Amino acid sequence: MRGEHNSMRKIVLHSYLFFYLAVFSLILTACGQADNPNSAGLGEPSASVMDEAENGSGKPDVSQTEKPTDNRKKSISIEEIPAYSGQPYVEIDGNQPGFTEKEKTKKSFERYSELDSLGRCGVAYANVGKDLMPTKKRGSIGKVKPSGWHTVKYDIVDGKYLYNRCHLIGYQLTAENANEKNLITGTRSMNVDGMLPFENMVADYVKETGNDVLYKVTPVFEGKDLLARGVQIEAYSVEDKGDGICFNVFVYNVQPGIRINYATGESKKDSETGVSGKEAKKTPASYAGSRTGRNESAQKKEAVEIRGNQKSKIYHCPGQAAYKKMADSDYLIVFHSEQEAQDAGYRKAKR
Amino acid sequence: MIVIVCLDDRKGMMFNHRRQSRDQAVAERIRKICRGKKLWMSPYSAQLYGSLKGMELAVNPDFLSLAGSGEFCLAESEELVPFVKKIEYIIVFWWNRTYPADFYLDLDLSRWERKGRHEFPGTSHEKITEEIYERRT
Repeated sequence: MRGEHNSMRKIVLHSYLFFYLAVFSLILTACGQADNPNSAGLGEPSASVMDEAENGSGKPDVSQTEKPTDNRKKSISIEEIPAYSGQPYVEIDGNQPGFTEKEKTKKSFERYSELDSLGRCGVAYANVGKDLMPTKKRGSIGKVKPSGWHTVKYDIVDGKYLYNRCHLIGYQLTAENANEKNLITGTRSMNVDGMLPFENMVADYVKETGNDVLYKVTPVFEGKDLLARGVQIEAYSVEDKGDGICFNVFVYNVQPGIRINYATGESKKDSETGVSGKEAKKTPASYAGSRTGRNESAQKKEAVEIRGNQKSKIYHCPGQAAYKKMADSDYLIVFHSEQEAQDAGYRKAKR
Repeated sequence: MIVIVCLDDRKGMMFNHRRQSRDQAVAERIRKICRGKKLWMSPYSAQLYGSLKGMELAVNPDFLSLAGSGEFCLAESEELVPFVKKIEYIIVFWWNRTYPADFYLDLDLSRWERKGRHEFPGTSHEKITEEIYERRT
């Protein structure tokens, strides 16, 4: 695992930081290729073409096209990012996003890059407003096979499945369902421990205030790898000038206890590769605490996985009827003991 | 003093010097709880909660030191351990969500006795859980 992460340091973070002057046009071809000098020679996906999202039900017209500008060219060296050390994400650039003043508009939009020749996603970028948010429950996304996809299960992974189809911009923000330009292969840890909390924070802020939030997710690939090393997420609330939402983080595409071949997406248990069992059980989230106590040891979290339903406030233990089904629930929250779940106000399922 | 805090599922309070979340329904609950009483808060909290009516509002960066017995304190970005001996009750509003956090409640609630609990819908949160804790004797 360590070797993998050291190799990450060699990556130049792919930023796709070409953003567009707001030039209104009815000519769709205006949203064409934006030359990205940073992508040349780095094996990055040629995803400088960003499509406006399909106009789904209840969404505003986003047919506006824009002209590229290079006033935000920027590449972040992986050397600036600490190697993965158990935290699902790390703050970068002082936790300050890199949006320019020109980008800070109140007009909702969403854009997704074309897949590159290897079928990999590029940057997904939106100005999230209430008008983009979903009005109906998410549909199936199982037909999409993002680059590096493998259906593989491990006992040590929450929900068993190592990989999730991770929305770059979460469904709760822009209601994009099975859009292949918005789905990457991501570990369970990256999806649930890394990306979801940020989506939650932004979604609830937008719902509460009605304000707009610039939200950009950049998958970071090394060379011709099919699996991203992680994603950079930047966000900024426009109306209050970042007082409500402002962050810039890198979320690691890792799964504790699993060694991943990023070139192909193949994986092995660390225990099969000589890593000690103790190391393999390392939990991704070194949360400062839970409801039962801030400084509870990670050991308790390793012992058992209790699946709670945030909607019903019922938790399920291994072997109970709905335990397996809960793994894929949108309302899943994982506890590491029954006591922890009970202290959080949850009750045990009867069956 | 009676401390009021808002927490996510991991006892998180803040991320990048900003509150994790907000909800008008919580503000309304605070207004009802503190009606006719004194409510202390920091200048940061006053930006959002400073317009609450029906109570005596006191805004001061050092409010936890200044608050007296029976007075309410809204704590969003303050460490509470240094003042733990002054705290009579803690009122917690759980968001029932997980957010990013880099600042957490520094009190171990398992050392406090839960005296009450109820749930209500938020304006942007599906369900908010309000709990009151009393120091174990």
